[in-house]
Amino acid sequence: MKKYELVFIIKPMEEEALQAVIAKFEAMVTNNGGTMEKIDRWGKRRLAYLVKDFTEGYYCIFRFTGTPATVAELNRVMKITDDILRHMIVKEDE
Amino acid sequence: MRREKGRRPRKKVCSFCVDKIESINYKEIGRLQRYVSERGKILPRRISGNCAKHQRQVTLAVKRARSIALLPFTTE
Ligand SMILES: [Zn+2]
Repeated sequence: MKKYELVFIIKPMEEEALQAVIAKFEAMVTNNGGTMEKIDRWGKRRLAYLVKDFTEGYYCIFRFTGTPATVAELNRVMKITDDILRHMIVKEDE
Repeated sequence: MRREKGRRPRKKVCSFCVDKIESINYKEIGRLQRYVSERGKILPRRISGNCAKHQRQVTLAVKRARSIALLPFTTE
């Protein structure tokens, strides 16, 4: 088990919908052998460049421990989720 | 050493070494912004004065920050 950090940007939407997206991915961490350590909501930020025609997005950070399989599944689903503008997973202390 | 003409270049020190910073995080864009040009390019060591170790960390951090739209790739 390694420590990872996942940053993702959700496209602007209502608070309830936002909550649902975050909860969905939180569950995905746990359901794929990971343990959530901390969820950090940065909130809405201006993007440094246009992403899918959006000028701003909602930043959220997950700190979790998991396996390469956890990371692979998150990567796969984030990539095909329209609500996610960008995401990145890095190993901690790197 | 002293040059015949022009200003003597000031001795540059690595600001991360001075502040005893062990690692540079991609989320600290306030700090990272000081090491990119107005057009968004990473400043070379000869300008930034960073040591090799910290310059590598800056480069990695800037690239990560770019990939999640915290910093621009280029600015017109
Ligand atoms: Zn240094």
